[in-house]
Amino acid sequence: MTWQGTLLHIHVAPAASYEMEELTEAQLIAGRGIVGDRYYLGTGTYSAKPDVREVTLIEVEVLEAIAQGEPRIPGFKAKLAPEDHRRNLTTRGVPLGHLIGKRFRVGETVLRAARMNFPCKYIEQLLGIPGLYEGLLNRSGLNCAIEVGGVIRPGDPFLPIDE
Amino acid sequence: MASPRIIMKLTVTAARKEPGDVLVIDLKHTRKPLLPPFEPGSHVDVHLPDGKVRQYSLCGDPTDLSRYTIAVKREDVGRGGSAWIHEAVAAGCTLPVSAPRNHFPLAQREGPTLLLAGGIGITPILAMARALERQGMTYELHYFTRSRALAPLLSVIERELDSSTVWLHFDDEPETRQDLESLLTTPSSDAQLYYCGPPGFMAAVDRATAHWPEGSVHFEAFQPPEQDGAPPEPFTITLRDGTVVPVAADTTALAALRRAGVLLMASCENGVCGTCECGILEGQPLHRDAVLSKEARTHRFIPCISRATGVLRLDL
Repeated sequence: MTWQGTLLHIHVAPAASYEMEELTEAQLIAGRGIVGDRYYLGTGTYSAKPDVREVTLIEVEVLEAIAQGEPRIPGFKAKLAPEDHRRNLTTRGVPLGHLIGKRFRVGETVLRAARMNFPCKYIEQLLGIPGLYEGLLNRSGLNCAIEVGGVIRPGDPFLPIDE
Repeated sequence: MASPRIIMKLTVTAARKEPGDVLVIDLKHTRKPLLPPFEPGSHVDVHLPDGKVRQYSLCGDPTDLSRYTIAVKREDVGRGGSAWIHEAVAAGCTLPVSAPRNHFPLAQREGPTLLLAGGIGITPILAMARALERQGMTYELHYFTRSRALAPLLSVIERELDSSTVWLHFDDEPETRQDLESLLTTPSSDAQLYYCGPPGFMAAVDRATAHWPEGSVHFEAFQPPEQDGAPPEPFTITLRDGTVVPVAADTTALAALRRAGVLLMASCENGVCGTCECGILEGQPLHRDAVLSKEARTHRFIPCISRATGVLRLDL
């Protein structure tokens, strides 16, 4: 599968529940996370089981879809700004759901897709948007490990490594 | 369980001393022009550098969302939060502050409203008085303090509220004093009462309103009511799935639940904010909190401070 995408936004939060802050440049540390982010600092909210959560990604296409509504959830429509969804990287043109176990490049870094992100009720309550949990089921992004660290910036291309 | 709230980094735009050892702090968002909306009675959580969290009522104007205003009384015998704020907070510094939550809302009623504030308890009451005045509603505000010189926000009250609806009561000016019992003797049938203040004031208003109809009296406390001093006893919590969680005498139900892997949000951990509230399915709770209404006490529980005798089955 050949594809090419773009990094639209980078967001970090210093701790659980803090508003996300947009970065124009971020430093990714292999095996750890994004400098300044809650999962790098160990101050995030997450289930206790061991997991990869060094950097989280979501497709802007999903945000555009849920802004239109969701047939499975009557009446549901959510306008989620890139700073609201609480994932680190907002992408366009990257087939996140097809990348599990594969490596890809963004900026100077190499990421390895570990598992699909699972939405939590927490974000629904935090943002006060009923139905958001169901609305994000099966498309709430991708959790990745950082294999090669480095700098990334909005506008950087995403390129596949493992086809 | 109460919902989590977004924490914002707010910039202190002004910090000024008010009578009564009170620091009034204006806050704005570091990046956005408007803050989340709030209703009178709402409070925010201020996150302190040591990880502790303190609740402060928003006493500014709910129609001006360019800023929040809180008023912090320095409590040297308290738990240290207000002392830190008084020493460290000045214009230009950044404070992590949650989005507002309201446990003390004004009911939308046609009848007259009676507002009682003791000392720094004026903070939520002032926001209520402003809103009622703007809506043209009938209200009376009674503000009780030790003396005129120690009354926080008095200058704001005198500047912004209609003086014919405000009664000031100073302990050291006998002609202004007001006996709570006689003020609250006869509730008019459709009146709503809201009160906030220090523990002695809360207890006195509670006694004086015992005969008021259920649902007509609303309050917010800063501290849980004083306890009888009996040492805490161990008890047992059971969860919906049958898990048994023993609570030792020297630990809280909240701590025991967390140790057992129950994910519970909490904030004040002092029985006043209601964040960790959960449901009771069965058992004999010993309520120690200052948030639940009499009605809620029959089926709700505040695990950061309340205890129980025997086995308490929670809806968790």
